[in-house]
Amino acid sequence: MIDIGIADLCVRHDGGDQALADVTLYIPAGQFCAVLGASGAGKSTLLRAVAGLVTPSEGRILFNGTPLSHAQHRRIGLIPQDFALSGRASVARNMMAVADIGLARSFAGLYPHADRARAAHLLAGLALDETHLVRRADSLSGGQQQRVAIARALLHRPAVILADEPVASLDPATGEATLALIRDEARGLGATLLCSLHQPELARRFADRIIMLDAGRVIFDGTPAMLDGIGIPPRIRAVAR
Amino acid sequence: MNADIPWRFPAPLNARTVALLAAALLLLWYTGQRVEIGRMLTLSGEAVLAQAGIADRSQVADGLGSTLAELVPIQLSARREIGRIEGFDPNRLPPFAHIETAETRVSELNPETLRREERVVRTAWLVEPFGYAFHVAAKMLETLEIALWGSVIAVLIGLPLALLGARNVTPHPVLRTGSRAASAFLRAVPELIAALFLVIAFGFGPIAGVLALGLHSAGFLGKFYADDIEDVDPRPQQALAAMGAGRLTIWGNAILPQVLPQHIACTLYTFDRNVRMGAVIGLVGAGGIGQELKGRFDMYEYGHVGTILIAIFLVILTLDLVASRARQAWR
Repeated sequence: MIDIGIADLCVRHDGGDQALADVTLYIPAGQFCAVLGASGAGKSTLLRAVAGLVTPSEGRILFNGTPLSHAQHRRIGLIPQDFALSGRASVARNMMAVADIGLARSFAGLYPHADRARAAHLLAGLALDETHLVRRADSLSGGQQQRVAIARALLHRPAVILADEPVASLDPATGEATLALIRDEARGLGATLLCSLHQPELARRFADRIIMLDAGRVIFDGTPAMLDGIGIPPRIRAVAR
Repeated sequence: MNADIPWRFPAPLNARTVALLAAALLLLWYTGQRVEIGRMLTLSGEAVLAQAGIADRSQVADGLGSTLAELVPIQLSARREIGRIEGFDPNRLPPFAHIETAETRVSELNPETLRREERVVRTAWLVEPFGYAFHVAAKMLETLEIALWGSVIAVLIGLPLALLGARNVTPHPVLRTGSRAASAFLRAVPELIAALFLVIAFGFGPIAGVLALGLHSAGFLGKFYADDIEDVDPRPQQALAAMGAGRLTIWGNAILPQVLPQHIACTLYTFDRNVRMGAVIGLVGAGGIGQELKGRFDMYEYGHVGTILIAIFLVILTLDLVASRARQAWR
């Protein structure tokens, strides 16, 4: 179980634009925290900063009170917005790269039984079958690639799941089922789930907590029930449509 | 109706591009004079006009024409004097071979009578109709083997150099600088010069050739592989790095699949280049077809030279076709 502490986080892009400004959050272990906001509000930057892919200009991010270590990186499951799969590699190779079993064993396809069983379970849960394993990632549709990226992120039973718009490329029904699978997996693993979404309705139904960002600042932080009282800001609602 | 649009749309060709093009043209004009481009065009033009029957004579066309004319007919057969073949058995001739006898009148001074006497000397020759073609094929095979092993050595040295020299995978910037410098040094020593030194060290033969080609092309591959690795889409790497994957796992699963087609194309080109350069370094005694070419050229046996040049052309053409198919398969 890992909790995430974010203190006074500021991130500037290369051009000098402020992507995140003074973001301070505490996300308890095991919580499903949805991040809402319009395009360019800073959702992806927040997730990338937590994943250690963006260096903050100010502030700190702590996992169980300590800065992100290599051992803790192994406990992160990242679902990037653009899937970030190796297009020319097979689905199996993309998935199993996370198992990190060494290059020789990986090239020979000598994946451990437990990893193969887990991969099969996850892919089947995401409506992909064995035939997809041999296919090149770039031969899949956008929605299929997104589901492979989700399965890859969950393969190594992460304690922190960082999901950047994980259902953006899926139709509403599949998106809902997929988000339910991510939530259930996170619950089963006791994982902390930080998930950016464009669909406020999904956030309301699935998340334990909703954070709203606007121009890099937190403008709302509360439970879905609290949001019912004040409504969703029109700017976010407009984007959601 | 023509409301003023406040936006400015940039043109692909702006003042800066035009200035750069003008500077490039100025440089070409200046350097062109120094390397006598004008004279080259005049002489070549004369040659073309002479061939077309418009101009009278051309020094270039005459010189080139007489040399090229000597390359044909190409030499395919081999003729060896039987008296000089050790352990020759006339009952066991090589396939398709036959024996020819030639008579020549020789005038000699008889030491006893001190008079010149004429006599007929009979010389038997073993003629193999495609003997020289087979000999060239064997030498070409040696060149291909030298080029193959030169390329293997180039990959074995070039790949680690690239992994140290690519900005996005190098363990340390100092190693990157060192690796880039080593690649540049290997490239800076031409094969021919390297072969000259290596022939002194290892003696005549293929070892010097293999090492000369291998070291020089390792410099090329070290650079090209590294440039390819630096150009890959960083996102798959970042995703795996965020999930704690090791350096080798990231290389094998996020970088290698992306760069493999370019790596294969570069390696095939290196092999192709090594075959051509293998013919050149043979000139300084580093084995293969080049050594044969130099020997025949020095003896003014241009028919043999013609056979060798055609053999090199056919091999390069075949390699190009094979490489093209291989690149298609790995796309």
